[in-house]
Amino acid sequence: MSISLPYRPADDTALSLAATTSPSKSNGLPHLSPSPSIIHRRTPSSSGNSARRRSLGNGAAAMYPKPRRCKSQYPRDSSERHVEYILVASFHIDRGPIMEHQYPAAISGDESMLAELMLPDQTHVRSQDWTIFFLHKDTSADADDDDDASSTGKKKKKKKKSRATDVESGDGDSEDAGGSTEEESSDEEEGGEGPPLMYVLNLVNTKQDNTVKRGAVVKAMAICTRHSFLHIYKPLLLLALEDYFKNPYPETLASLYHAVNSMDLSLMPRLSLLERLILQASNSKDMFIEKFEQMIHQRQAEEGGPFDDECPPSPRRPAPPRHTLPRDTHEFESKIVYNDIPIPVKVPTVIWPEIVGDFSLIKLIQIFAGPHATSPQPFPVHPHLTTSGPFTHPIIVLINAMLTQKRVIFLGHNRPSGEVAEAVLAACALASGGVLRGFTRHAFPYTDLTKIDDLLRVPGFIAGVTNPTFANHPEWWDVLCDLPTGRMKISSHIEPAPVTEGFLYFQQQAAMHHHAPANANTDPSGDNVFMEEVQRSITNRYGENAIRAKCRAYIMKFARVAAAFEETVYGASNLYVIGPNEELSPESPSGLQADPLDPTTLRGHGYVWPDEGAKQRELLASVSRIEGWRTTRSYYSFIQDIAAMYYPSRPIQKPDLAHHHDRLRALRLPPADAGAIYIAFAHAVKDYAGICQLLTVTPENQAGLFYLSMGLFHPHQPVREATVELLERIAAHPAGRHFWAQLNRFAKLAFFRIKRERDAQSPASGTAPESFGPQSLVGVAMGDTFRRS
Amino acid sequence: MGGQVSKIMGKIFGTKEMRILMLGLDAAGKTTILYKLKLTNQDVTTIPTVGFNVESVTYKNVKFNVWDVGGQDKIRPLWRHYYSGTQGLIFVVDSSDTARLEEARSELHKIINDREMKDALLLVFANKQDVQGHMSPEEVTQALQLTKLKDKLWYVAPSVATEGTGIFEGLAWLSNNVKTQPAK
Repeated sequence: MSISLPYRPADDTALSLAATTSPSKSNGLPHLSPSPSIIHRRTPSSSGNSARRRSLGNGAAAMYPKPRRCKSQYPRDSSERHVEYILVASFHIDRGPIMEHQYPAAISGDESMLAELMLPDQTHVRSQDWTIFFLHKDTSADADDDDDASSTGKKKKKKKKSRATDVESGDGDSEDAGGSTEEESSDEEEGGEGPPLMYVLNLVNTKQDNTVKRGAVVKAMAICTRHSFLHIYKPLLLLALEDYFKNPYPETLASLYHAVNSMDLSLMPRLSLLERLILQASNSKDMFIEKFEQMIHQRQAEEGGPFDDECPPSPRRPAPPRHTLPRDTHEFESKIVYNDIPIPVKVPTVIWPEIVGDFSLIKLIQIFAGPHATSPQPFPVHPHLTTSGPFTHPIIVLINAMLTQKRVIFLGHNRPSGEVAEAVLAACALASGGVLRGFTRHAFPYTDLTKIDDLLRVPGFIAGVTNPTFANHPEWWDVLCDLPTGRMKISSHIEPAPVTEGFLYFQQQAAMHHHAPANANTDPSGDNVFMEEVQRSITNRYGENAIRAKCRAYIMKFARVAAAFEETVYGASNLYVIGPNEELSPESPSGLQADPLDPTTLRGHGYVWPDEGAKQRELLASVSRIEGWRTTRSYYSFIQDIAAMYYPSRPIQKPDLAHHHDRLRALRLPPADAGAIYIAFAHAVKDYAGICQLLTVTPENQAGLFYLSMGLFHPHQPVREATVELLERIAAHPAGRHFWAQLNRFAKLAFFRIKRERDAQSPASGTAPESFGPQSLVGVAMGDTFRRS
Repeated sequence: MGGQVSKIMGKIFGTKEMRILMLGLDAAGKTTILYKLKLTNQDVTTIPTVGFNVESVTYKNVKFNVWDVGGQDKIRPLWRHYYSGTQGLIFVVDSSDTARLEEARSELHKIINDREMKDALLLVFANKQDVQGHMSPEEVTQALQLTKLKDKLWYVAPSVATEGTGIFEGLAWLSNNVKTQPAK
């Protein structure tokens, strides 16, 4: 079989292409079947074809145009409000914290609890403080208290229910811009653990005032929202609370409420899971700018009827361009007009679960890495936590503690409560990586002694406190992180780790070949190397995003290692959906082609180690924390997410792109094996979503397309040509073009040389399609990107 | 020079550290006492304590870690979380607020009957001795029913917190009596 199939389609081959790819995907049912809607969508339905037909315009970028309407993340007609409640509380000198006003309605029965949260400890010693806390919805009054009830139980059934139905009806008929296999994903907040949290941002002011009894007035105003980017409301709270001191009436709350809810985010496009992964990993400021353009075009079409976008605004629309493209597609710029003051706000385009507010991982890491670097203190050893012995890096101890669902407290005595809240949010993001869930739902960014009894009912919480009395109660926590000193403590009361099957398995293994231990490697888990790398990046002034990406990669790696661990110990893993034709038996080596006629049936999956010894060492080093993780909330919700979200979002189930790309990167493969990978990729990765999926395993910060481009230098001509085809498709892809632009010159030169050679040969062979249009591609390759405006 | 000597003395006899918990009804003067101790000769103006204050004061070779916890009735249930490890309780009474002395008595007895507080010394400040119509230390002793207490070392010190009178005498009593306990 020749490999000329995947040439870029001329008009008449387009349909057949769609037809050949679609069935091959839908018949290969994975063991964990994705939701029926996905399978249905993949069949070559009429809508799919029409989308494709339209896609065959001229011009490179038009290869993947916008087949259908781009949906908004925050549609204008949505019944969901940006902000649901505004609250004001004050400290009454006789009664303590009380709630003064709530708008538009009372939020819950337990006002005093809320008022206490809004007036943090020691607020009398500073003039201003910020706090953040989360509210939960109780499913019933008598409480599922073992898990979800957490301190701040909230009753808002009616509200929640109406919201849930909104979401359903909104998504049922939806189809994302990519036109293939996405959405659902956008609702991960809903997945598994019930309705989304209500996030509360609270500002408290203390004003000395000699005219009142006991000399001071303490008031706090809070915004309750379902958006995780609650920090954008900070300037508004500052203005509104100031106003409230002057006009302590519900009207002040009302005007804030209406101002924030008239914020227009409707031009922010909704992205699929794969697109979001790409955007997040990318530094390009115009990644997916086409989608923003399309949103504006759609809006203009709706508003102004048919007018050409080349035209300047017509006289009857005297306004200057009302919709401008974002300067950086990672953020969407909008404004909130409060009391006639326009306040600019930037809303993140990509929202991940467990990433709430504006915190700094860099700051968190530096707080605890500094003292550890200058004078490390030994921890008492606990198998879940001190995975590299008593001198395990405190940040690793923290990650381990959260992965194994320990009780973690951040203590900031004499610090603003906003500071401890930030640390808690950062810790959640650190352990989640935006991948694992179940942390923010059990986080209490700021809490105090009044909630201690509720707090202790939550298994594995993450809490921020400013009251040093928590340090005197080691029975309340497992790990205490003291922010002022940058020291972490493991509690003397911590529960010892149970002995598990996996642990015994590795003990036996170690007993069987006891030649391996200790001497081989001082950092078998790679944690020390990871922390050194992170710290080097911080020292070299890499931004917050770069550090978050590293931590995210660490968590993803942890999950992949855990999958390999489960396969080794238990014979199968909950954390990996085995692709079609794949076998679990360890005897079936990676890189074997199951079906000799189908190059995509390349076997192999999961994490790649350079050799078996390295694998055994790393698994042995991680066995305790993996076993500790395997009983936690984050583990169970991850399994659900894989089945419901991550797996279905991937159009390409075979071969395992991440696995084989890792092989290209980590192993010195013989040419035949490497060639098989390039050819398999060229066969498998064809459509828009497929290329998106490939791009998620080749992020810019991990060399981008470099390892793929190595196929251009393969000794066999068919492999080189397959690589050219693959790169051609990537270069014409709206996101792929950015990756292509960053590819080194050497690889690009090779690319064009091979293309020339092939084009020179093709008339002779007579079978290759003639319809190839190189000019447009050259344009893209030279960075001459396609623009509409 | 004096500092030098006391440092040397400290080396010979060892510095003691004492955890003190200061409680009392709201507006009794707890925070004023705390900051008078801390900032000896300065004027102190306070506002209601939201939560707590904690400061270290060194006096007569004893380092006092004094916890001052807000007194509004709603937050009094939180006091118990501060008990463990407390060696001395300072209970502050507004001697002029005769109407609430019974309330103060009931709170005080609740505290010292707690198991975790059974070894703690009890110092009562009969505060606001400068206000018209105040009760004397003896009357306060009566009203708080201190004589009923068995196996308890206690002392009532008259004080005017805003002027700083009486409060160091109170501390002196604490530091003299803590000697009978092993230093921690």
